Amino acid sequence: MSGVTPSVATESERHPVDAALAARLAAIVGDRRVLFRPGELLAYSSDGLPGYLKQPSIAVFPGTRDEVIAVVRELARAGAPFVPRGAGTGLSGGALADGVVLLGLNRLSRILSIDAENAIAVVEPGVVNVALSRAVSAHGLHYAPDPSSQAACTIGGNVAENAGGPHCLKYGVTLNHVVALTVALPNGEVVTLGNAAGENDGYDLVGAFVGSEGCFGVALDVTVRLARNPQAVRTLLADFHSIDAGARAVSAIIASGLLPAALEMMDAGTIRAVEASIYAAGYPTDAAAVLLVELDGPIAGLDADVATVVRHCRDAGARDVRVARDEAERTKLWQGRKKAFGAMGRISSHLVVQDAVVPRTKLPQMLARVHDIAERYRVTVCNVFHAGDGNLHPNIGYDANDPDESARVHAAMREIMQACVDAGGTITGEHGVGIDKLPYMGAIFSEESLSAMCALREVFDPDRRANPGKVVPMHSCREWQMAPAARTGQH
Amino acid sequence: MAPASLAELRESIRDAIARRCPLRVVSRGSWLDANRPVHADTRLEVGAYAGIVEYEPGDLTLTARAGTTLHEIARATSANGQWLALDPLGDPSRATLGATIATGSYGPLAHHFGTPRDMTLGVEFVSGTGDVVRGGGRVVKNVAGFDLTRLVTGAWGSLGVLTEATVRLRALPSVEATLLIDIGSATAELERARTALRGLPFVPLAVQLVDAAARQALGVAGGRDAFIVRLGGNEEAVRAQREQLRGIGEAHDVDTEIWRRARVAEPAGAAVVRLSRLPSRFAATWQDAERIAERWPGGQLHGDPGRGVVRVVLPVDGNVLDASLRAALEIPFDGTRIYERLPRALWPALAPTAMHGAIDRGVKAAFDPHYLLNPGIFGELQ
Ligand SMILES: Cc1cc2nc3c(=O)[nH]c(=O)nc-3n(C[C@H](O)[C@H](O)[C@@H](O)COP(=O)(O)OP(=O)(O)OC[C@H]3O[C@@H](n4cnc5c(N)ncnc54)[C@H](O)[C@@H]3O)c2cc1C
Ligand SMILES: Cc1cc2nc3c(=O)[nH]c(=O)nc-3n(C[C@H](O)[C@H](O)[C@H](O)COP(=O)(O)OP(=O)(O)OC[C@H]3O[C@@H](n4cnc5c(N)ncnc54)[C@H](O)[C@@H]3O)c2cc1C
Repeated sequence: MSGVTPSVATESERHPVDAALAARLAAIVGDRRVLFRPGELLAYSSDGLPGYLKQPSIAVFPGTRDEVIAVVRELARAGAPFVPRGAGTGLSGGALADGVVLLGLNRLSRILSIDAENAIAVVEPGVVNVALSRAVSAHGLHYAPDPSSQAACTIGGNVAENAGGPHCLKYGVTLNHVVALTVALPNGEVVTLGNAAGENDGYDLVGAFVGSEGCFGVALDVTVRLARNPQAVRTLLADFHSIDAGARAVSAIIASGLLPAALEMMDAGTIRAVEASIYAAGYPTDAAAVLLVELDGPIAGLDADVATVVRHCRDAGARDVRVARDEAERTKLWQGRKKAFGAMGRISSHLVVQDAVVPRTKLPQMLARVHDIAERYRVTVCNVFHAGDGNLHPNIGYDANDPDESARVHAAMREIMQACVDAGGTITGEHGVGIDKLPYMGAIFSEESLSAMCALREVFDPDRRANPGKVVPMHSCREWQMAPAARTGQH
Repeated sequence: MAPASLAELRESIRDAIARRCPLRVVSRGSWLDANRPVHADTRLEVGAYAGIVEYEPGDLTLTARAGTTLHEIARATSANGQWLALDPLGDPSRATLGATIATGSYGPLAHHFGTPRDMTLGVEFVSGTGDVVRGGGRVVKNVAGFDLTRLVTGAWGSLGVLTEATVRLRALPSVEATLLIDIGSATAELERARTALRGLPFVPLAVQLVDAAARQALGVAGGRDAFIVRLGGNEEAVRAQREQLRGIGEAHDVDTEIWRRARVAEPAGAAVVRLSRLPSRFAATWQDAERIAERWPGGQLHGDPGRGVVRVVLPVDGNVLDASLRAALEIPFDGTRIYERLPRALWPALAPTAMHGAIDRGVKAAFDPHYLLNPGIFGELQ
């Protein structure tokens, strides 16, 4: 759970910095690229998850692939745990390094090759998501997974979190777009997973690595599939006088079988925050909810689909449905959505960005539940989310320095999560488990399943040095200790 | 052994662990191990553990036990205008969901919809440690925990016995059409048509290039290679798609039944290899495949230009010498060669192993530490 009162451990509480290790790392990457003074480390003591400050012992920033490999090998020799980090925009605390080495990959930001003919690209892990789409746009291509943080987050971080985004409804999440990876295993060995040039046989290790949250090693390069730009795009804004009506429209559109490129929902609180910010998109401020619906593809037949969406919105009680007239209006409508978290963040001192998924038919009842829970705990929830996927983001702005309010916020969040699980959903659709969702893993997975996950992690990282303490609760990993002979893999 | 419940299945596996008894996992047995050298005499029959567990049409997801046939799933979903857009070879009334996911099997629809990897949302399986394990879930987006779903998809039952899976469904297109476009056999002609198909503003549901022998088997005989293209969408969309296809060559309608026929048209027991390279090299891959098929009586070819894959089907009867088959298959080829089915004796020679490194071996050892589930299926025991 996020929102623990910020605290910076005092120097004496922390592990003494391993000066010798820092020196050896500096010999690889240069003095300027190794930080170990508390003041310098402050910027790397948090990620996108509010309320935590965890200081790394050392932060090291290699600039080339060879330097990364040398650093990982040095850490292996030292037996030092480490945490890979991209842009630090993660919302589950995955890139927090608590007294261990932080390995920054943001300097590896080169696009290594673009093969427009086959619609694939090979990129270094520190390439910023949107930079890839920009680089391939001249070929009429783009990289489809588009997290709202795409202007900052890295492909390496996307791979580690199996990131999603508004357009993943139609195009699929990161998993569906990664075809091959080169990985530095925590022991320093470099392996290639997958095959960009043909099919694969054997185990789907690319599939296993995507979403492994930095626990299986460091992605050194990523081969991704690119998507062709659609011939035409239609962006619609529908507004509703109740959240329920909006949610029913979503369920109806999905049930109709239509597959919009994106289907996003924002409620009144979100709309007001956006409209009060510099990203004001022209959303109606008196609406209880708006849907942002995008349809794309060949021109032929597209407007028939638009008509179907409009009909479902109206049937559900939409007050108004308008289609963006031009690219400028489209961009503006999207800008408001993509910057919604930022807009909310301006209003409160702290913002819990929650992430859970429910079956699409359960959206109306779940949004009503969220509303009830918020009222009971006297907190204000703003919903802005990937409605077409049933991927909720109920967010609560609050003041983390007010203990009473913090307690109410956390209790409300726990209840919301439980409600999503009870509805047949899951505890995270795209932000990952990190440390934030650790307490909920037991709510959806049995001990047997959790220990199987531990076993998989141990194949990649027998010493458990890569991103220790994340994703799977430690107590579930007792089998690690029990059957070491079975895991050596030498048979 | 034919356990009827999850508890019994787990007991069977625990019992096998106690006795160190290797198991051959069998569902409906329609494709068993494609003759892969599995070293197990005891059959663990799991095909009877079947039935749809949950299907809420509005969610476009379906959860079924592993023994459920693709036909049963199609019957339930089509009643609601939906489908599991997956058409692996074999008779759908025998092919099971569990085996399809376990073998990662797919068919022509992969052109548009991808493979089991892309549509499996969650699984339940009993691992070789006798644990009941779940990965993923029943919702369409889920990143909770490490991805055990992808791990067992395509693992051929070597890590665990699938008991249940949740898959993503799609709406059936309201209009469908299938067109056949004759092309010349010259490489330049093939390359021109491939490029033109790729430049279309839409992605067809399926695109298969078939050679004369495959056309014959499908009942659309003709002397030359042809593209068979499956279109789908709303009425206006399909009308436009037809128009656009005409720009590529002379296109005429064929019965959409052809796709069903394609699933069962293959000679029983044929040796099959898939050749693949980047799609841009499809014409060259097709030529390489032709060099194999030309040298084999009754050899057939079909391929997906979008995926860069060509499937070479060589009929095999009792009189065929393994050595001559091997000679036909072993042409020099710098792409990826994946064997689907071979005479038993040829597996070790042609496809020694699908275990490529220490991680593959480690995964096997972690999930099946006693090597009891389909041991040898990935060549790991040679
Ligand atoms: C004529 C014909 C041609 C085919 N051609 C191809 C082809 O070219 N390529 C291809 O990939 N597939 C092919 N198939 C296979 C088919 O598409 C699927 O693999 C599958 O649907 C077979 O179902 P089954 O229940 O009969 O499987 P079975 O024959 O019982 O089992 C197939 C494999 O899956 C494993 N398995 C079965 N159930 C489970 C389970 N619950 N958990 C774990 N492992 C399990 C088995 O151990 C076995 O290795 C063909 C099938 C037929 C009948
Ligand atoms: C305003 C805002 C909006 C957001 N919207 C979305 C959204 O729409 N969809 C979505 O999915 N997420 C969203 N996020 C969350 C976040 O942006 C994603 O999780 C993103 O993928 C993180 O990328 P990063 O480079 O910042 O990674 P970090 O936060 O630096 O790291 C995330 C995880 O990845 C690991 N990691 C990083 N690089 C590597 C590497 N090279 N090899 C191995 N492991 C590595 C880290 O150890 C850590 O566990 C949003 C965040 C913000 C702040």
